[in-house]
Amino acid sequence: MKGLPLQRRTLALIAVIVPLLALFIYVGLRSGPLAPVAVTVANVESRAITPALFGIGTVEARYTYQIGPTFAGRVGRLDVHVGDRVRAGQVLGEMEPVDLDDRVRSQGSAFKRAVAALSEAEARQVYAQAQARRYEQLFTVHTVSEELVTTKRQELQIANAALSAAREDVDRARADREGLVAQRSNLRLVSPVDAVVVARNADPGTTIVAGQAVVEVIDPKSLWINIRFDQISAAGLAAGLPARIALRSRAGASVEGHVLRVEPKADAITEETLAKATFDDLPEPMPPLGELTEVTVDLPALPAAPVIPNAAVRREGGKVGVWQLVDGALRFSPVVLGASDLDGFVQVREGLRSGDQIVTYSEKALTGRSRVKVVDQIAGVAE
Amino acid sequence: MSGKGIRIEGLRKRYGQGDTAVDALKDVNMVVEPGEVIGLIGPSGSGKSTLLKCLGAVIDPTAGRMTLGDETIYDNGWKVRDLRALRRDKIGFVFQAPYLIPFLDVTDNVALLPMLAGVANAESRQRAVALLTALDVQHRARAMPAQLSGGEQQRVAIARGLVNRPPVILADEPTAPLDSERAVVVIRILNEMARQFETAIIVVTHDEKIIPTFKRIYHIRDG
Amino acid sequence: MISLAGRDILHAWGKFVFTGFGLGLLIGVTLIMAGVYRGMVDDGKALLDNSGADLWVVQRDTLGPYAEPSSLNDDTYRTILAMPGVAQAANVTYLTMQVRKGEADVRTMVVGIAPGALGATPGWPPYLVAGRQITRGHYEAVVDIAAGFKLGDRIAIRRNLYLVVGLTRRMVSSSGDPMVFIPLKDAQEAQFLKDNDAIWQSRRRTEANPAFNRTGVPGLLESVLASQSTNSFVNAVLVRLKPGHAPDDVADSIRRWKRLTVYTRAQMEGILVGKLIATSAKQISMFLVILAVVSAAIVAFIIYTLTMDKIREIAVLKLIGTRNRTIAAMIMQQALALGVIGFVVGKITATFAAPLFPKYVLLIPTDSIAGFFAVLLICVLASLVAIRMALKVDPAEAIGG
Repeated sequence: MKGLPLQRRTLALIAVIVPLLALFIYVGLRSGPLAPVAVTVANVESRAITPALFGIGTVEARYTYQIGPTFAGRVGRLDVHVGDRVRAGQVLGEMEPVDLDDRVRSQGSAFKRAVAALSEAEARQVYAQAQARRYEQLFTVHTVSEELVTTKRQELQIANAALSAAREDVDRARADREGLVAQRSNLRLVSPVDAVVVARNADPGTTIVAGQAVVEVIDPKSLWINIRFDQISAAGLAAGLPARIALRSRAGASVEGHVLRVEPKADAITEETLAKATFDDLPEPMPPLGELTEVTVDLPALPAAPVIPNAAVRREGGKVGVWQLVDGALRFSPVVLGASDLDGFVQVREGLRSGDQIVTYSEKALTGRSRVKVVDQIAGVAE
Repeated sequence: MSGKGIRIEGLRKRYGQGDTAVDALKDVNMVVEPGEVIGLIGPSGSGKSTLLKCLGAVIDPTAGRMTLGDETIYDNGWKVRDLRALRRDKIGFVFQAPYLIPFLDVTDNVALLPMLAGVANAESRQRAVALLTALDVQHRARAMPAQLSGGEQQRVAIARGLVNRPPVILADEPTAPLDSERAVVVIRILNEMARQFETAIIVVTHDEKIIPTFKRIYHIRDG
Repeated sequence: MISLAGRDILHAWGKFVFTGFGLGLLIGVTLIMAGVYRGMVDDGKALLDNSGADLWVVQRDTLGPYAEPSSLNDDTYRTILAMPGVAQAANVTYLTMQVRKGEADVRTMVVGIAPGALGATPGWPPYLVAGRQITRGHYEAVVDIAAGFKLGDRIAIRRNLYLVVGLTRRMVSSSGDPMVFIPLKDAQEAQFLKDNDAIWQSRRRTEANPAFNRTGVPGLLESVLASQSTNSFVNAVLVRLKPGHAPDDVADSIRRWKRLTVYTRAQMEGILVGKLIATSAKQISMFLVILAVVSAAIVAFIIYTLTMDKIREIAVLKLIGTRNRTIAAMIMQQALALGVIGFVVGKITATFAAPLFPKYVLLIPTDSIAGFFAVLLICVLASLVAIRMALKVDPAEAIGG
C-alpha cells in the first residue's frame, strides 16, 4: 500500500514495533499466573538407607573427685595447678594447721607428764608395798600394832589405785596425741587416683568451710558424653551402637565412639532422651569438659526399599504425599513414609513404586492445575 | 450566460451590529463562467478575502444571493445544509501558501478529498495520479510535501483543488510565494485546467505581474 | 478512507514512539507501585500460607505472633493437642534478627520449627527449591533464597553456626524479610541468648549480687546462672484441624477452656493486612493516585501539544470539508495509540524491573488489565481537551488575510 519512499521508514517501524510486541507477549506468557512453574524431577529409587540419629551433648567426666578438708580451716599450701596430672596418693596441698602442731606438742608434754606421773605412782606403790610387807612381818612378831599394819595396807591399796590411774592417764595422753597427729595428717590433700586437676577453687590463705572442695580432679579415662536426643528422633537408640562424635572445637573431624547406655530417665521438660557415649580412643589433647559435641549414632542399615528425597514430600488437602509427574501432568499421590536418614532420604512404604517420576523442587507451591516446566535446577539456585 | 459557473448578486457582508456595523461587502455582483479564469484585485482591506470566504462558505454573508451552477446555495441564508460537503464537492481551494497536509504524501494529499467524499481509496488515488500527470508532477507522486519545491507544491495544491471536479475554484494569492516566471506558469496552468475541466476559477491577487494574464478582472474597492 | 491518525504517527513516528516510551516508563512506575502493594499483601499471605496452620494460638490478649510479641510455655501445645478437632499442634518461634553473612548481615526472620513427622508438622517450609528439609535436631537451617545464602554455607545465628541444607523461595515475613528455618530448640536458645559478651556481663552482674553469690552456700551461684540460660517459651502454637471441624468452633473451645487467644486464618489475614500493612497500603494508594493524575496530565499535555502543532493542517482539513468526527477520531486515535505504546512499554519495563526490587513486587494480570483500561480512559479524557480545541479552529484561518 505504501510506496518506495515509505519502505525504509516502514522497516524501521517494524524493527521497533515487532520486538516490542514480541517482548510484550513473552512478558504476558512467561510471568504471572500463566507462566509454567519450573520444577525439578527425580525418580523413585529402590535402595538401602542407613538411618542415623543425631543428638548433641557435652563432654563430661564420669568420675569427678572433689578434694577438700573435712573441717573448716585455712588453706596452707597448694602444690598443683589446673591441668597438672597427678598420681594416686600424691599430696596436692595441705591445710594450714593453725594451733594443731602446738596442740600436738602440748599433748606430747601431757603424755610425758603422765609418764612422769606414772613413774611417781610406781615409785609410791613400790614404797607402799615394801612398807606394807615390812609391817606385816613386824606384826607377825608383834612388834607393831595391828592398826599400823592396817594403815600401811590401805596406803598400798591407794598407791595401787594411783598407779593404775597414772597408767590410764598415759594411755589417754597417748591417744589424745595420736588423735591430733591423725588430724594433722588429714590436713593433707591427697589424690585418690591418677587424675588431672580441673579446678583449683581456693588459694593458700583462703578459709573454707568443711566439705568445700579445694581442688577438683578427674580421671581422664572416664570422660564420656552426655547426649540429648529429641524423643521424636530417638527410635532405635540402644547401648553399644557406634557413634560419631564431632567436637565443636574440631569442626569437620569426628571421633569414633559408642553408646554406653541410654538413661532410663528422660527429660520431661525438654522432651529429650538422654544417653551416654564414650570415646573408643581418648582424643589428644583431652577435650575440655563442657565442650559441645554433635553425636551421630548410626543405626543398622535397612533393607532396600523405594526411597525419595524429603524435599519431595508435600502436604495437599490434609494428606501427606508427593507430586507425581505422569505423562507431563501433575498428580498428587498420598504416601506413607517410613524410616529416613540424615541425608534427607526417606523410605516410602505405600503410594509409590520404584521408577516413578516425582517432583522434588518447585519454584512455587503446586496445585493440580499448575503447568510445569522441568528444569535441571530452579533459577536463582547458585551452586 | 448558461446555468453553469458562479453568480453572485447583491452580496453583502456586515460585521458587527447597530451603529458600529461595518459593511465589508456591499452589493457585490459577479458572474464567472465555467472555463473562465478571472482576477479579483483590489487594495488590502478592500474585502477580497471576505468575498472569498463568503464564496468558500466559510463565513456567512449578511444578505444577497449566490448561485453555483444550477444550485442556489445562498439566498439571504444558506440553502445548503452541509457546508462542509459543499466545500468538499463543489469548491476547490488553492491558497497563498500551498497548505498541503505534511503527513500525507503528494498522491494522498490530492486523493484525500475524494476519500472524504466516500470514494474508494484506489479510485481516489487513480484520480489523483491522473491529475498529477496532467499537472506534470506525477514524478513526485510518492514524495512528501516537504520534499517539493514551491512551484511543485502549488501544482499539487491546484491538483487538490481540482480533484473533486468542483464547478468553482477559489485561489487566494496562488502566486505570492513564487517568482514571476513560475507565477506565470501557475496562471497558465489554471487557465488550462479551467478549460479542460470547465471550471470557473476566481483568483484573488495583487500581483501586478500576472494581472495582464486574466481575461476579465473584477476590481473591489471598499466593497 | 485512509487513517489520518496513522499517517500522522507514521510521519513523525520517531517522536511519537519516543514520547510513548517516556509515557511507558511512567506507566511502568505506576504498575510497579501497584505491584509493590500487591507484593506487601502477598508477603502477608505467603507468611500465613507457609505456616500451614488453620489456627494460631497465642498469648492471651495479644495480636501475636506476627503483629505483636507473644509468648507461651512450650508445653502448651500438649494441652491443645488434646482439644477435640485438633489434628496437629506444633510450637513455633519467630524472631526477626540480623544474620551475619560474610562481611555484611542480612535482615531475616528466624523461624523455629518443631520436630515432627515429615510433611505433617505445621510451620515447616512447604516446598523447597534446592537441598533438603532439616533432618537433624540441631544446627541445620533451611533458608529463603532471597537471603543470598547457598547450600553448604554456614550461617551464624547468635553463638551457633548452622549449615544451610535447603533453600526455599517466597518464604518471607510480613515485612518481606527472608525466613531462616532452624530447629525449635535452637531457635528458643537463639531468641534468648545474647552474644557472648552479653552473657559474660550478665553472669558478672549475677555474681556481683550478694543474694546469689553466698560463700556459705556453694553451688547456689551456678544454679542461678543455669536457670538464667534456659528458655522454655515459644511464640505461638500452630494448629491444624481434623477434617470436618469448623475453625471458629475449635477456636472458641480453645479460647474458652484454655484461656488463650486464638486466631483463625481469616482473622490473621485481617490482622496482617488490616493492621500491619494498612498505612503502607494507604501510602502507596496515594502514590498511585498521584501517578495516575500525573500520567493523565502528561498525556493531555502531549496530545495538546501534538494537536497545537497541527492546528493549520486541521484548519485546511476543515476547509476542504473534513468532518469534525474525522478530526476528533484522528486526535483520539493518536491519544489511544500513545496509550497503547505506553502501556506495552510500561508492562515490559515493570516486568523486567520487578525482580530488581529489594522487596517482592507482585504484578497481577488483573491489575495490568485494569491498568490498560485506565490508561485508555486517561488517554480518551486527555484527548478531549485537544479535540475541543481542534473543533474550535475556524476553517477561515486557512484562507488567511
